[in-house]
Amino acid sequence: MRVSATWLWPISGAASLFALWWGVVVFFEVRPFIAPNPFAVISALWTNRSLLLLNLAPTATEALCGFLLGNLVAVTLATVFIHSATLRRMYFPVAVIFNTIPIIALSPVLILLFGLSIASKVIIAAVICLFPTLVNMIRGFESVSASELELMRVMSASRREVFFRLRLPRSMPFLFAALRIACTTSVIGAIVSEWIGTDTGIGVLIIQATFDYRTELLYAAIVTSSALALAMFGTVALLEHLFVRWRTS
Amino acid sequence: MDHGQAIELIDLEVSFERDARRVVAFTGVSLQATAGRFVVLIGPSGCGKSTLLRVIADLLAVGTGRVQVFGKAPAQVREARRISFVFQDATLLPWRSVLDNVRLPLQVGNWRRVDRDSRQPEDLIRLVGLAGREDALPHELSGGQRQRVSIARALVTNPDILLMDEPFGALDEITRDRLNDELLRIWRETRTTIVFVTHSLSEAAFLGQSVVVMGANPGRIIEEIALDTRKPDNRIDRTSTEFFAITSQLRAVLERAYGDKAGS
Repeated sequence: MRVSATWLWPISGAASLFALWWGVVVFFEVRPFIAPNPFAVISALWTNRSLLLLNLAPTATEALCGFLLGNLVAVTLATVFIHSATLRRMYFPVAVIFNTIPIIALSPVLILLFGLSIASKVIIAAVICLFPTLVNMIRGFESVSASELELMRVMSASRREVFFRLRLPRSMPFLFAALRIACTTSVIGAIVSEWIGTDTGIGVLIIQATFDYRTELLYAAIVTSSALALAMFGTVALLEHLFVRWRTS
Repeated sequence: MDHGQAIELIDLEVSFERDARRVVAFTGVSLQATAGRFVVLIGPSGCGKSTLLRVIADLLAVGTGRVQVFGKAPAQVREARRISFVFQDATLLPWRSVLDNVRLPLQVGNWRRVDRDSRQPEDLIRLVGLAGREDALPHELSGGQRQRVSIARALVTNPDILLMDEPFGALDEITRDRLNDELLRIWRETRTTIVFVTHSLSEAAFLGQSVVVMGANPGRIIEEIALDTRKPDNRIDRTSTEFFAITSQLRAVLERAYGDKAGS
């Protein structure tokens, strides 16, 4: 009863917005190529399912590889930065400045460097999820308390042990918070990378559907990309539920 | 158990930098404790009692003067894993179960290289009254239970000296009394040297074979009160007139320690 009630609220919220969308489209007689009604989008999802899946495959690959690469690099950098104050002082500001460059401006540069292969798209997806994870992981590694560090010192623990026994497990909630962000940003990175010089992917489909006034297909492509991010988000949430069972008291 | 000096502090001064100023934590501290003794440090905040504990544990560097723990430098004693520390908050690793928290000191540092006998984690969990809760996570325990786990963890390396920094400060009075009873029971069983920091008069009177009263500004020892003859075998009834007399005496000395600051 309780469980079904917690699910019922967001479902009725979404349903009410769908009803509003449908009502507006019908009432103002909005033409389908400006904005289709929700049922047209659902039927477009079904009729174009093979086209959507065909284009989902490269986008999902890019987003997933970028997600893994970006977060791996971010965690490695955070590990280096908390162990070397000098390197952190030298390169953390560079990372901050690098992060201010809009990803859409960076993509042509990366495509020039790495060509039109999948590599450039994976790197774009990786770059976009790197910074939030880097910042979160530095905070996570530093979230150990003074008495926890004193405890490790009384036991004559090495820096390596302090890292693996204390800092790394301590940082897990921060890591998962960052991964939740990276789920959506890596999909954004993959789609943006597909807007330049490629012929498959959800990003390509979005551009083509717009130019062809196939608005219901555009909406269906958007729903597909959102479903991809949602699936990644759900996986991360499930992993967090399985691996982080502890609470700070 | 040898009855040599467990702790020997001679004319110790420790200071540290704060906001580009040198702050003296305490000065002129001399103190001796034989092995197996239960020593309580009490004093107003800022008297340096926690700092003193950290110098003995080699968590802070000695300024000037001499510190010897079992005739050795604190760093040597720490590296030999003869010291355990109990903090004000239990400092349990929240992702580890009770049993794994108690095991931690045997998994970390140079434990396998130092030649010491450990105690069975399961036995210690029973000793602190938490049998059956081995698999519980720290957030499932009460504050008092968490502190019991941290005491079990401190004892697992069978330490020669146990340093306790206001371990029961955050607990209610009845829980604190019970844990004090249990701490004395554990101390009788292990005969570990204990240095215990508190700001509670009744806790100091109940636990200590000797009570060291410290004052602030600068931190220093005001008086060391030995209670051996008044508490045979370090036992006393909390409702006795003798207990009341000891508490009153400590109160008088402590009020002197507050000095001009009293009432401020």
